[in-house]
Amino acid sequence: MTETAQPNLLEVKDLSVTLRGNRILERINLEVKKGHIHALTGPNGAGKTTLMRSIMGGMPHQGTIRFLFRESCRLGYVPQFLEFDHSVPITVFDFLFLMLKKVPVFLGRRRAMRERITQILTATNCAHLIDRSVGQLSGGEFRRVLLAQALEPKPELLLLDEPASNIDEVGIRQFEEMLVKLRDEHGITILMVSHSLDMITRVANRVTAINRSIFYDGSPDGLTHFDLQQQYKILG
Amino acid sequence: MEYIYNLFKDWANAGYLPSIFEHAFMVRGLLAALIIGPLLGAVGTVVVTKKLSFFTQTIGNAAMSGVAIGLLLGEPADGTYAGLYGFCLIVALLMTFVKNRTHLANDTIIGVVLAQTLGLGIILMILVTSQFNIHQVEGILFGSLITLNDNDLIVLAVSALVVGILFACNFNRFMLASFNKTLAKARGLSPVFLEYLFVVLMTTVVVASLKLIGSLLVLVLIVVPAAGAQLISANLRCFVWLSVLFSTISTVVGLLLSGILPVPSGAVIAVVSSLLFYSALFLRPLLLRGGPNQGEV
Repeated sequence: MTETAQPNLLEVKDLSVTLRGNRILERINLEVKKGHIHALTGPNGAGKTTLMRSIMGGMPHQGTIRFLFRESCRLGYVPQFLEFDHSVPITVFDFLFLMLKKVPVFLGRRRAMRERITQILTATNCAHLIDRSVGQLSGGEFRRVLLAQALEPKPELLLLDEPASNIDEVGIRQFEEMLVKLRDEHGITILMVSHSLDMITRVANRVTAINRSIFYDGSPDGLTHFDLQQQYKILG
Repeated sequence: MEYIYNLFKDWANAGYLPSIFEHAFMVRGLLAALIIGPLLGAVGTVVVTKKLSFFTQTIGNAAMSGVAIGLLLGEPADGTYAGLYGFCLIVALLMTFVKNRTHLANDTIIGVVLAQTLGLGIILMILVTSQFNIHQVEGILFGSLITLNDNDLIVLAVSALVVGILFACNFNRFMLASFNKTLAKARGLSPVFLEYLFVVLMTTVVVASLKLIGSLLVLVLIVVPAAGAQLISANLRCFVWLSVLFSTISTVVGLLLSGILPVPSGAVIAVVSSLLFYSALFLRPLLLRGGPNQGEV
């Protein structure tokens, strides 16, 4: 199927965001095709995370955001940061239990849930982390746990906010393989924010580069480091 | 209730229980401790996780004004519940509203309201009673086992039942929203609604326990057991149950001691609770020898 023949899963039209008098995003138009990895890039402060939050429904905005879901109608989300008190004794098992079950974690039947959570973590190669404290995980390990939670139940659209930040080169390659597998084998559409043009070129079908407004929208091969550096200069 | 009091009296006379349980007020205190101890311990885990410790203290301070307003409304001096619940809930909701509508830090908002509520309470109390009744103020601040009556016990039991059910049903959501609001939203939750709900539940249980523990010391029972449990827990299940255990031991042992010694129940509960905290602190290296959070406890 050619790129144009793929139906849209997400349509953003004329989206603008103003916060405390500052225009953060200006008339953003975006189409995310079903079955694609669509990257969002741009300099720091360009409004990428604001755009993600608007899509998530957590940001007041002008313009329209339309989801054209056909299957599970579910969004999965992996945040850029997860600020929490590291002294709270919460394991990876607890973390997933909180999200998957209504029965309070201190009363729930752990044995049955343990099998299910192990299965969920296996999808992102991190089943061995099940009893580790969330506060003690490395950046890469925590990313894999966050990705695992976002995949349960299976989402139709997965939003990733800078999935490669704080991960070493080996970890990045493993993460990329996982994203491609999710797209190709599980049919999950992915919209991800990334600063890494190399990563975008390797895995994305399409890239939209923004610096308050869109300055590039097309194939990753058409966007160069030079284009991005020019935008960094404008901002800096 | 008379049946229960007589039962305890018989057991005390037969030597199964300490002789202090011949008195009905001690039985009431024990029942109150057994109701409030576990609940405050469980609620405390979310309070500590959400960093709402001094929010609880502000609610306690607001109790003084609540009592005075209750007296103004014509409520009996030993049961000013409309004034107490009404004013404390207003203060709690107002603080949550300000927090959600401004960019002020939580501790800044608490700092503003904390002193106001106690100052206002003292002024109102003196104006309402036309005198500074130190015994009345002492009872509110430190708790008084003697003044606990059957009505207080019923209010406590009903409040604890409602709060306990709603708290257990929403525990996972409260914890998830405390962790990360955006992640909670992605899971279809409303962190703002959950924050208001938790604040209402917390205020309800704090107000219900004031007569036993006192407004000045309620913070101790809601924070210290959870803090002690946090020190030696490897996972959330352990955290909650240890906090419940510490809190229950603190209230029951504190109550028994206050029945023997001529001191307010709240003060003894605070000391027992602190002793458990320091025990957990010193035992921590032994209990978490494999490193904190290794495996299940």
